[in-house]
Amino acid sequence: MLYFRGCTAREKQTEIQDATERLLKLAGVDYHILDDEKCCGSVLLRTGFVKEAQNQIEENTKVLKGEKILTSCAGCYKTLKEDYEGLDVMHISQLLNDLVNDNKINLKKSDMNVTYHDSCHLARHCNVFEEPRNVIESVANLVEMENIRENSLCCGAGGGVKSAYPQIADEMAKSRLSQAKQTKCEILITACPFCKRNLENDELEVLDLTEFLMKYGGVDETE
Amino acid sequence: MKPSELETMRKSFNTVKERSSSIKDIPSIKRLTSRVQEIKKYSFDNKDELFNQALESFKRNDIEVKFAETSDDALHIIDDLLEEYDAKVIAKAKSNTLGEIGLKEHLNINIIETDLGDRILQLKKVDNKPVHPTGPASHLSVSEIAGIVNESLGVDVGPEPKEIMEVVRSDVLKRLESAGVGISGANAIAAEEGSLVMVHNEGNISIVSLKDLHIIVAGIDKIVPSLEDAISVVKLETTFATGNFVTSYMNVISGPSKTADIEKKLLKNMYGAERVVVILLDNGRSEAIEECLYCIGCGNCIVHCPVYNAVGNEFGFNNYLGGRGVAMSKFIEDDETCFNSGLYMCTLCGLCTLNCPLSIPTNEILENMRKLSTDVGFYPKAHGNIMENVRKNNSPY
Ligand code: SF4
Repeated sequence: MLYFRGCTAREKQTEIQDATERLLKLAGVDYHILDDEKCCGSVLLRTGFVKEAQNQIEENTKVLKGEKILTSCAGCYKTLKEDYEGLDVMHISQLLNDLVNDNKINLKKSDMNVTYHDSCHLARHCNVFEEPRNVIESVANLVEMENIRENSLCCGAGGGVKSAYPQIADEMAKSRLSQAKQTKCEILITACPFCKRNLENDELEVLDLTEFLMKYGGVDETE
Repeated sequence: MKPSELETMRKSFNTVKERSSSIKDIPSIKRLTSRVQEIKKYSFDNKDELFNQALESFKRNDIEVKFAETSDDALHIIDDLLEEYDAKVIAKAKSNTLGEIGLKEHLNINIIETDLGDRILQLKKVDNKPVHPTGPASHLSVSEIAGIVNESLGVDVGPEPKEIMEVVRSDVLKRLESAGVGISGANAIAAEEGSLVMVHNEGNISIVSLKDLHIIVAGIDKIVPSLEDAISVVKLETTFATGNFVTSYMNVISGPSKTADIEKKLLKNMYGAERVVVILLDNGRSEAIEECLYCIGCGNCIVHCPVYNAVGNEFGFNNYLGGRGVAMSKFIEDDETCFNSGLYMCTLCGLCTLNCPLSIPTNEILENMRKLSTDVGFYPKAHGNIMENVRKNNSPY
């Protein structure tokens, strides 16, 4: 399996890459990463730079074709699945769900209350709703926000808004965070590094699904 | 918009959301929704025939009809009519199309808004763009509104909705005593019957339509095959805009006011208008993307749009609010206007489409428009830098 980290987990939220690799090792997944991994082109496609995106698509397809690909990022997932042709792609939340169901990772459930933010790319656009929830519920109590699944509120980072209009991205993150706080959860979980980046704040702990499992899933790496 | 205005707007939107979400999923409204989807699709596919049919039907009904290719054309037609009637003051009803052609900015005679929300915004004078198609002033609190009314009308009302309404109403009615011309839009046009359908709650459109001359400006995208279709459209619009099945009033105008009660001789202008003039406006519509023209103007997209909730009517074009408005601005105006209206403010999240009765894929439309916009050089600097980073380092960062 090829673990395609994506630019955010590879460069900015490296703790997500770290947690992901530890989980993969723990579950005995045979995987490799690319030393010279290239941007999938998602940001270019969403901001109108088609020719440049096409370039990334062509370059990446050469190395990705024929691999079973795993992504951390919801944006990479959608792009590799929909904008590339003929790739076999899986999001980490889907793999984790399989691993949990097959008892490949031993998790311990606590009575902690957590909530989950559906990323637009993963949920409304690609219909991945259940898998991350199943994984979370094997470890903690999931308390849902007002807007969930296909009705989930965008975190504010998508479509190039975070770079072009940071104030709008902040304002939107605030709305989403206030919904999370209303659930009285202890942790807000996302399955997208880019959402996590936009939702991070001083009051509520925000974790990627992989980090959450490593930190609160009761996993034993010495086994 | 000010933070306090955004806060009030979000509160009003939450009320609308609650009301409309309880009604929009019931079986009869679901049936209506798919019926209207079919009607709009059919109307687009047969737009030329329906347009010609509407022209014929209007003529048969003694409604004068004129075609305006651009805003300027429409304004010239209006200028001529107002001159003919020597109009000093005109009664106006709410209309996105009149906002689109910039009627108020163009005319230097006294235009009186008859819709309460619009009248409040008109009295506000500055920063007075509407925030919702049917709730234009839903970002203003009652005390702000009282302040606006007191200052502009020289009165002293308290922050009491009823008091405010009464003061504005009597002022509007007094000003309209001498008005001989009314002007409005239309919510839907029936081609077969040559009828125009208008919905309202205040009764104000009735006032406008009872003036000697009633001018109606409507986009060519408002034409549907029949009166039943037109009623379906406006009913769905009402449901999604307000959460109610119907408005208090639904005016169907199919000709000037007339009577033949004396020896069967036709007389015009008994109570209502002696002349009804319809201006059918293109203004970029015939170039627009099909799905953009499905819009029935309910505003449910902006109520649910997280970007709109964050920044308000800065995201949108003129009276066309939110992402769908941004898309239309390219056809009504140009690429630059589209960029300035917020082509890149959209996170492409797709919540609007999910909440649009016509499922207009606004995020896809905008994503595609960005391709053309970057080609002609209208894109945010930050995106240009990111593109360079990817090109050089294979990473946006
Ligand atoms: S785009 Fe859809 S939701 Fe928005 S105003 Fe038009 S019909 Fe209503």
